[in-house]
Amino acid sequence: MLLAVVQPWPEGKQPTDAVLMERILQRDSGALEALYDRYGRPVYSLVLRIAQHPSSAEEIVQDVFLQLWRSADRFQISRGPLEPWLFTMARNRALDFLRLKREKQRRREDSDSDILPSAVVRPDPEGDIDQHRRAEKIRALMTSLPEAQRRAIELAFFEGMSHSEIAAATGEALGTVKSWIRGGLLRLRESLGEASS
Amino acid sequence: MNCEQLAALYEEYALGVLEGEERAELEAHLARAGDPCIVGVAQARWVVAQFAHAAPDAQPPAALRSKIIDAVKPSADTSRTAVPIEKPRLSRQRAIFPVWAWVAAAALALITGYTIRQMNNQNDQLAQLRKEMKLATMQNQALQNQLDMDRMVAMVMMSPDSTPLKLMPKDKNMPMVHAYLHPHMGVAITADQMPSMPSARTLQLWFVPKTGKPVSAAIFHPDASGQIAFVAPVTIPRDEIAALAVTDEPAGGSPQPTTPIVWMAQVN
Repeated sequence: MLLAVVQPWPEGKQPTDAVLMERILQRDSGALEALYDRYGRPVYSLVLRIAQHPSSAEEIVQDVFLQLWRSADRFQISRGPLEPWLFTMARNRALDFLRLKREKQRRREDSDSDILPSAVVRPDPEGDIDQHRRAEKIRALMTSLPEAQRRAIELAFFEGMSHSEIAAATGEALGTVKSWIRGGLLRLRESLGEASS
Repeated sequence: MNCEQLAALYEEYALGVLEGEERAELEAHLARAGDPCIVGVAQARWVVAQFAHAAPDAQPPAALRSKIIDAVKPSADTSRTAVPIEKPRLSRQRAIFPVWAWVAAAALALITGYTIRQMNNQNDQLAQLRKEMKLATMQNQALQNQLDMDRMVAMVMMSPDSTPLKLMPKDKNMPMVHAYLHPHMGVAITADQMPSMPSARTLQLWFVPKTGKPVSAAIFHPDASGQIAFVAPVTIPRDEIAALAVTDEPAGGSPQPTTPIVWMAQVN
């Protein structure tokens, strides 16, 4: 006799992340499939943007979801939704890949790829109701920023550069780079506040 | 620098741009268990993670999904969702062989069968050992998590900056729930002799602001011995909290309370 897995979800019903994580704890691979269907695309998009290489991006995404499978017992939904933890883990792993590729020394914070779920906590639980609206707000924010400021934030987030590395890469003064980054983060917070109100 | 001064740097740290003394100073705070900067940086990581939405949308290759699922299949519990499928039958084929060939084939089949059986037995034992090891690792991790949480609860409870509160039950047969509200470290919740909850339901803690809708703080279940001990981050300014409340919600929690309050405490 051979075994095959059947679709365990009732038609039209979307289980929450918390329910899926509980099922992963019971070693239900169908729950991992459902989470991949929910977050695979944005996680892959992020990793591809950082790694710039489809086959490496594939490996990193696979690694992230296998880590999710292995670390399900560490996840507590009360601390925050799954998506930002996945994003943080995926970003750290992709940046590690990038740094290894560039033979750069890894910094302590960013080398912690296996970041604990408890290390990513949403500041406003109610603000997570509309994820699509939040994503739209972030995209709108980025396009509204002046070109140089957007570039500075992209170098920080997608390429893992520090203040001084960004200053060197852009030829701008360190103080200018710091104020661009601070301003961008402030705008991000405001945007997230608007998205949740 | 104290935690309040460092708070301005949390997001820059989470973004990975912070360097030098500022970075070292913040990391020294993060290395201290129970330091308020830990919660602040965790929240900053959430904010910074939102930049991920700025990445251009890309479709992952279709094969990636099956690669991931295939990789976890050996450790998955297939009995929960498995259905039997009949093996396809092989069509009969006629062939003419001398008797010695049949005997040799039968002997070979016996040896092969014995070897496969031995290998299967060893594989079963190995799989069992792996399963036990995995279970032990998970139990160890769960204990470690619980220990960390208990430590955090104790720190919040003992802090002179925490405000002790009693969440009174609406049903007099229910036990009282204790809360310790700390402006930075979070709110510690403890209780004993709590009734068990069905798996389809959860308890949900709410910050009730002076104006506006309740804000979800955490969802939780009593453990097998009816105890509760956890710390949830304080997600609205301390001065704006009018009350703490607990409701009984569907598993996974609700964006807003859907049932009457079960426990409540006014915050002065």
